[in-house]
Amino acid sequence: MSLCAQTVFVRALPIFDARPAGNFLFLTKPVNELEAQDRDTELLRLIAGGDRLAFAEFYDRHSTLMFSVAAKILNDAGEAEDVLQETFVQIWEKAAKFDPKLGKAASWAAILARNRAIDRIRASQRRSRLAEAAGAAHAIAAEVSESANETLYGHDKAKFVHSAIVELPEEQRQAIELAYFSGLTQDEISKKLNTPLGTIKARIRRGLLKLRDQLEGVL
Amino acid sequence: MIDERMEEQAALHVLGALSDVEAYEFKKAMKADPELQACVARLSVATGALAGSVPMTEPPPQLRAKILAQIAPAQKSVSLPERKSGFALWLPWSLATGLALLCVLFFAQDSRLRQTIGEQEKQINNLNSLAQSLSAATNNLQQTVLALQETNRLAGLKIAMLNSLLADAPKAIAVSLWDNQNQNGVFVAQNLKSLPADKDYQLWVLDNGTTPVDAGVFHVDENGGVRVEFKAKLPVKTAGRFAVTEEIKGGVAAPTIKNLVLASN
Repeated sequence: MSLCAQTVFVRALPIFDARPAGNFLFLTKPVNELEAQDRDTELLRLIAGGDRLAFAEFYDRHSTLMFSVAAKILNDAGEAEDVLQETFVQIWEKAAKFDPKLGKAASWAAILARNRAIDRIRASQRRSRLAEAAGAAHAIAAEVSESANETLYGHDKAKFVHSAIVELPEEQRQAIELAYFSGLTQDEISKKLNTPLGTIKARIRRGLLKLRDQLEGVL
Repeated sequence: MIDERMEEQAALHVLGALSDVEAYEFKKAMKADPELQACVARLSVATGALAGSVPMTEPPPQLRAKILAQIAPAQKSVSLPERKSGFALWLPWSLATGLALLCVLFFAQDSRLRQTIGEQEKQINNLNSLAQSLSAATNNLQQTVLALQETNRLAGLKIAMLNSLLADAPKAIAVSLWDNQNQNGVFVAQNLKSLPADKDYQLWVLDNGTTPVDAGVFHVDENGGVRVEFKAKLPVKTAGRFAVTEEIKGGVAAPTIKNLVLASN
């Protein structure tokens, strides 16, 4: 067959277009970030309709990120497994609630896992663990050999993200970490750090805006 | 324009640092304010990156199968158009009843009207049956694909589902399994239409997802089903996708584009 004939055949339908060769459900990820976001949104739409293949693909794309977040918060692999399981059942049942206007599917999935992990600590009345976590070393180490972001963005971008986070002013990063990884509310952070509530709010806002400005357009 | 206070609330919201009451109030405000929604979306870039900044920890491999098994019994039904309720549901029937009464009053066309209603009910029943059978067939095939993917993942097998590209055979569907090491495969299809005696279905393996390689012709049984073991006529490096075309008896060297019947994605 001539090359021209092959090309015509390949272009005859969108499914034969310029996707990378060997593209297969569980094994590859889309090349660029925008494509990945579109794919995630499409997967969640299919999951909402009961598509188990789409669910399996979504699991393959985001389970590492979600498990990493849960494991970091709970510091217990067994409990993190339970959280991952509960969160994916939640995604199966509530996928229709995902609104792409409010952010990326990966962030949404991560916050679901994060919320489940925090709820689990609270439900088991281990508030002391939250306080412990709050006083313990930072969730984000100064040096990380391999972060969960690598599964989403690859090595170079993950390194860039990590730098952007660790370069935040210490007091901003601390407030943000206490909120996200220790599950403390703004009032609790204020008490924990013995700092006025208004100051805590301002630190969190400034820190997140700075992070957003650095990462927007890169991710 | 989002003021500083709302921006603070948005930042606290994406971090999950609002109390339950504050979060409720914020969500209410966000629902009515597209600008605030956009603000939250932009901030979620930061929280997404924050989540991923923890050390990577892979979940245990067996957890995947466990979770997939857990959702199996809770199979969702394919969503059908929502039924009208209450007044909307009864209105057409009320009108129909009124018309029937008029018909009785005028002693005309009564039987014809009943017949029409009967036929419509029959059509609705047929459509419901069709939707159910399609849903069941799709679910069965999805489960087959998932099961095969699970059991053969490590064996280097390629499994793909092929969907119909024909308006007159929308139920046609197939699964193709390819063993790259042995350069052979198994193809199973359902609901293909019967072809005239001078035509054959021809299967193609798309090497590297692009180059069609002849994988032989096949026929379907009276129900449109087929299960066939096949080999590619040329060596295949990577079976990226699969396609089926309708060709002249015995097959052709290059696929006829306009006759595409099934293709995987």
